[in-house]
Amino acid sequence: MSNLAQARLHEERKQWRKDHPFGFFAKPVKAADGTLNIMLWEVGIPGKQGTIWDGGVYKVMMTFPDEFPTKPPKCKFDPPLFHPNVYPSGTICLSILDEEKNWKPSITIKQIVLGVQDLLDNPNIGDPAQIDAYQMYKNDKHGYERKVKQQAVERRPK
Amino acid sequence: MPRSTYTEALLGPELFKKVKETRILVVGAGGIGCELLKNLVLVGFANIEIIDLDTIDLSNLNRQFLFRKPDISKPKALVAAATARHFNPSSGIDIHARHGNVKDSVNDLEWIKGFGLVMNALDNMDARRHVNRLCQAANVPLIESGTAGYLGQVTPMIKDETECFDCVPKPAPKSFPVCTIRSTPSEPIHCIVWGKTYLFGKLFGEDDEDMDTEELDKAKASGENAEEIENLKKEATAFREVRKNLGEEDGPQRVFHKVFNEDINRLLAMEDMWKKEGRIKPVPLEHEGIMNGTFATPPSRQAPSTSAPNGTAQTNGSSAQKKQSLKDQRELTLKENLELFIDSCKRLSARSIAYPDTPLSFDKDDDDTLDFVLATANLRATAYGIANKTRFQVKEMAGNIIPAIATTNAIIAGLIVMQSLNILRRLPLPSAPAESSAGPAIRNVFLRTDAIKPLGYSMPAKADKKCSVCRDIYVPIKVDLEKCTLRAFVDEVVKGWLSKAEFEGKDEDEDIEWTIFEGGRLLADPDFDDNHERTLDDLDVKRGKMLTVRDEDGKYRPVHFSICEGDAQATSPYSLPSEPPCVPLAPPAPASREPSEEPIILDSMPPPTNNVSENTPISSTTAVGTKRSAPDDGDVKGATEEEQVVKKRKVVVLDEEDDFEIL
Repeated sequence: MSNLAQARLHEERKQWRKDHPFGFFAKPVKAADGTLNIMLWEVGIPGKQGTIWDGGVYKVMMTFPDEFPTKPPKCKFDPPLFHPNVYPSGTICLSILDEEKNWKPSITIKQIVLGVQDLLDNPNIGDPAQIDAYQMYKNDKHGYERKVKQQAVERRPK
Repeated sequence: MPRSTYTEALLGPELFKKVKETRILVVGAGGIGCELLKNLVLVGFANIEIIDLDTIDLSNLNRQFLFRKPDISKPKALVAAATARHFNPSSGIDIHARHGNVKDSVNDLEWIKGFGLVMNALDNMDARRHVNRLCQAANVPLIESGTAGYLGQVTPMIKDETECFDCVPKPAPKSFPVCTIRSTPSEPIHCIVWGKTYLFGKLFGEDDEDMDTEELDKAKASGENAEEIENLKKEATAFREVRKNLGEEDGPQRVFHKVFNEDINRLLAMEDMWKKEGRIKPVPLEHEGIMNGTFATPPSRQAPSTSAPNGTAQTNGSSAQKKQSLKDQRELTLKENLELFIDSCKRLSARSIAYPDTPLSFDKDDDDTLDFVLATANLRATAYGIANKTRFQVKEMAGNIIPAIATTNAIIAGLIVMQSLNILRRLPLPSAPAESSAGPAIRNVFLRTDAIKPLGYSMPAKADKKCSVCRDIYVPIKVDLEKCTLRAFVDEVVKGWLSKAEFEGKDEDEDIEWTIFEGGRLLADPDFDDNHERTLDDLDVKRGKMLTVRDEDGKYRPVHFSICEGDAQATSPYSLPSEPPCVPLAPPAPASREPSEEPIILDSMPPPTNNVSENTPISSTTAVGTKRSAPDDGDVKGATEEEQVVKKRKVVVLDEEDDFEIL
């Protein structure tokens, strides 16, 4: 890994600890060897209040590549999420996480998690990533909402 | 008359003495390395170490001329040294050849300090970065070089004087968004990447689905929606079924049906995906229809690409007739692609079954894997109305092949030696002082495709004050890793020894708090001392690695402690230089790093700003310069054309890479 990625993730961790949005968490994962892996973060994203996602905290694993911040981190819901823009594997399809689209090296972890939170209730239907959530969202809004709400209950922090 | 008489007369006795005595490290014994080693030996360099981790391949022999056919699969460094040693029997030459990785832990700071000059003849970004960092840490001059097709460059790098390899951000290797690869490809390369990394991995690669399934089971156990989990599980395990049946007679056909028919139908069902401008609906492929000729090939969205990169057949003036005679350069029909798909699937699955514990991986020189990727990419391209590629082109694209031309390598190797003389002239030897003003200045040299002025040069730029490699502080530390605990390092080395250093602009009563890293691992910070009683050895902090110490406020430059082998006789578990370093202030963090309260919203995003591409090399107008880069390629290609551009510091790395024959 590069000095630059290390420096930047050190800074990100410091900024996050100093100040972060309410209800979120983000921290490097403790590795099996007892050290903290700053290239892999565990992140919790709460559903926005007043939306069908409210109540749940959705866990995302953020993997930072060696070329970070030139390249964006890979973000994956763990476990996978019922959502039109989330691949069955949990990988999130989002323009700010896409280096060909809107990723910029200056985007912070905080901006990413807020972006993902926003995506929850504002699915981008032009870029579907899983068929189940997509089709329900399109054809059975009621069923979709019921399912999302149920998911929110299941992912309520214990 | 000894054969060195003329060289000595040309260089002068002092410089010639340095040539004979200076220890030189050559990293890489490939295309440039072979040429360079020959040059060094003939000039009279007599104290050379050459290291390369690779072994000789048939495809090297056209240009790596120190190797012969019987040498195939022998270590490059050893054979190169054995051959080149005889070129100059009179010089009392000592070539120390090593078959190994320059990143190995034995190649630590102490090792690199033993050289007067280092020359890179590498083919990848990662090793270049590593050697650059070592040279910067040890303050040893480095000559960096690379070629791509007809272009090449030589860049001397001297600490505190010129910029280092990392002063100029290099464009990261191109990769493609997962959505483009899995759902909406629009270019041949998208289909190739899909075949090579996605489908190949699913069918023959490491079976990573165990974990997926386990995770889902866990989720289910913790009370998540059972039906949903089942659905996701079905998706995740669909490939497992296919994989299991691959060995059966109709296995490949079933794979074909799943990925080129069912999966495409599923994508089509997501109608909104195809409403976006520029997206064209794929057409599911029918096995039977293709075989009996009734399947109507979907219309192509673009005219077949005629612009082939330099080095491929089209630009080498081959006639249509010749093209037909070379089977790798002929476009296959849809039916041929389908047959090749079935056939290569059978070959690969036979290998999978024979060696179930060895997952297969793509290798451009492995015909079975190349055939699979070729057929897969073309079938997918056909379904999406994308132009097909020939076997030759797919090999180049999937294998990230950069054209390598013997002549270019030879020119660049010559230029490296010229620059090495310029550097040596200034270096002191115990017996010969540095000459301050005599001789030409060191310079960056570029080989361009300009018939009138093929060589361009520029004065090396100054180091970037913000560079996170050459502006950092490096301290060698000799440690007995089994005795030294992390607590000893933190309390005695950092809080004791380092705190006595002169910190630029430090207030008298300022109490600095530290975080300790090793690469991507955070070992300790003011609130995290779980590992304090463990030894460095136990923490896998080994020789050749660096313990990086950063202050919590990011006010000062980080200090990297470079782990060297401890002294067996030493009484203390570690030993440090007598004087701690001066630690300058870190440059202010860029404004963009300030936390912004504005969340970034999907659809209101500003257009891409291409931060990275500002530093992207300006491609020359020739075909070589416009070479695409493939996704997992670790390197950068491109070339500067104008000295103007060079002066603006948009300097480029060119690569010397594998396997390309030029007619």
